[in-house]
Amino acid sequence: MIAALEGPPIGWFDLSPLLVLLGAALVMLVVGALLPRWPRGLYAAFTATAAGATMVLAMVLWDDVSDQGARYLVGDAVTLDGFSMFATIAIAATVLLACLVTDDYLRREQLDGPEVYALYLTAGIGGIVMAMANDLVVLFLGLEVLSLSFYVLAASHRRRSAGQESAIKYFVLGGFASAFFLYGAALVYGGTGSVRYDEIVAAVNTTLLVERKDALVLAGVALLIVGLAFKVSAVPFHFWAPDVYQGAPTPVTAFMASAGKIGAFAAMLRVLTEALPQWRDDWRPVVWTIAVATLAVGSILAVVQTNVKRMLAYSSISHAGFILVGVEAAGHTAGEADPSGGVAASMLYLLLYAVLVMGTFAVVSLVGRTGDDQTDLDGFRGLGRTRPALALGMTVLLLAQAGVPLTSGFVAKFGVISAAVDQRSYAIAIVAMLASVIAAFLYLRIMVSMWIVDAEAGDDAREAVRTPLSTSLAVVLSVGFTLVVGFAPGWIVSAAEHATTIATAVAP
Amino acid sequence: MSAVILAADDIQVAQNIGFGIIAAIMVIGALKVVTSKNVVHAALSLVLVLSGAAAQYILLGAEFVAVSQILVYVGAVMVLFLFGVMLTRAKLGKETDLDQPKAWLGVPVALLMLGVLAWVLIDGFQDERLPADATSKAAVEISDSVLGPALVPFLALTFVLVAAVIGGIVLARKD
Repeated sequence: MIAALEGPPIGWFDLSPLLVLLGAALVMLVVGALLPRWPRGLYAAFTATAAGATMVLAMVLWDDVSDQGARYLVGDAVTLDGFSMFATIAIAATVLLACLVTDDYLRREQLDGPEVYALYLTAGIGGIVMAMANDLVVLFLGLEVLSLSFYVLAASHRRRSAGQESAIKYFVLGGFASAFFLYGAALVYGGTGSVRYDEIVAAVNTTLLVERKDALVLAGVALLIVGLAFKVSAVPFHFWAPDVYQGAPTPVTAFMASAGKIGAFAAMLRVLTEALPQWRDDWRPVVWTIAVATLAVGSILAVVQTNVKRMLAYSSISHAGFILVGVEAAGHTAGEADPSGGVAASMLYLLLYAVLVMGTFAVVSLVGRTGDDQTDLDGFRGLGRTRPALALGMTVLLLAQAGVPLTSGFVAKFGVISAAVDQRSYAIAIVAMLASVIAAFLYLRIMVSMWIVDAEAGDDAREAVRTPLSTSLAVVLSVGFTLVVGFAPGWIVSAAEHATTIATAVAP
Repeated sequence: MSAVILAADDIQVAQNIGFGIIAAIMVIGALKVVTSKNVVHAALSLVLVLSGAAAQYILLGAEFVAVSQILVYVGAVMVLFLFGVMLTRAKLGKETDLDQPKAWLGVPVALLMLGVLAWVLIDGFQDERLPADATSKAAVEISDSVLGPALVPFLALTFVLVAAVIGGIVLARKD
């Protein structure tokens, strides 16, 4: 006799942020394929609406979670808690901003169509699944959804060979990194008998101390860190980032640098602090080393670039180093009832950086002009004269990336550094401060090019930088957010802390 | 040394001999993949390695995994490889420019990985053995868990497929 199959309870409303994005992606594809071309801007507007709805739903669920406590969903595969809702809101925000930037870009390049937006939505789903996962297999699937979308997005401008080349590079190296991650998950499973975070933690008391499979788990942890460090482009797994960031269409680069980092870092934080807290004394020095190397290499190599997209790629590597400082701080107290501020500081950094980098690349996308190839420093020459408002916005964003006070970048950097100092990781805090001083030089170079460098013959013959409505809106939004958070950081700092305390309530 | 191991009481001699033969074939096949000067030969050697892995799964009593391995890798992936070779390159003979001059850099890395992972596995599982009656109900168990506790990962696979399908459309579409 065949017993009736009982699936796990689903909790549809709890999954609604994901379902909205998935539904929107499918509608976009099916309806987009059946109907003739939608009126201008409608693809972007539809996607942005879905992203906005996801943010609202995530806030509702966040409220619900703070009343009723965090919980596991659908057969304990994903966690609904403040942490995952915070990441969801951040990723949805990047999707929304990316739509605003992409709409103008696609029309300028005469590529308008539904596919890119559908890929933004699936990438968003992947990132959210990574942040919510309570299971290494689910995490891997999220990682693959995110990565597959990125590979294709990098090649989505079919007439630019640079984009194709960067997509192939990203695809080959990314497939390699996914294999590392998967091998790591298999070894952790071999050592602990489970791929679920809570069961891995529980296994330490039974299997591990009795059967001594420490080496197996440690090798697994090492490979997991390799896989995730690749995705966040930490040194020495960063080689793909500059090429891919430079070759991909600029709005896509912005989306990769923001949504990709949020998803991968959220996954890294969850895996390290929730699944592997017992090995924190083993992985913390590794994270420390990677963080220092990332800060140094990212900041120093950023300064010597001449292409702004490449500079910003190295600067995003250096920002990854700052977030790793927060991860390292979280490592001191991982698994304890009263965690350090490292997790909250890292998540806050991710959100603030995502908005910043979106705005910055939005400006780069405008300065790239038709063809998206005037992204050398020379392309920015004279922007302060021809487009003062745009140059001013860019200046604010660059100052924020450098971590100047009264901008969100300062709040973010202050958060991770003070988290490190709280844990007496003075050395890494000092390295981080030095790195931000070095990196400041790079942002200055762009500002000098915009405001100070004299015009050269032929500058006036160049295509003028246009400021279409929706991209300008994206720049205004991110500059506004940057300044609001810079002047009044209290609310968002406490929101991040609130979110991450609900997360740790789940951990056993 | 190996004779001593084979002669021990609780060892299944036939399985061990089978393992040894298949493993040797796999190693030779793997070497062929990277040394062959002919792309098609390399691809066919890969078939040998992948089928060998499937045979090892059968020895371990994991027939479901073995069948999937054959279907997916030997069936689908290899056919794609060969199609790819066929459709993209007219030349099917030997080629001289297949080797990277810096290929030797990979040797120490590969040996290091081999050493570390082998040590990890030996240390991790020491003298554990599969139970002798390991004729498994693996297929039933896998199907039960796919539709039960692992339902969510299974459904999450659809996200992956959606992303892949959209990607295929984007890359293949004509302007």
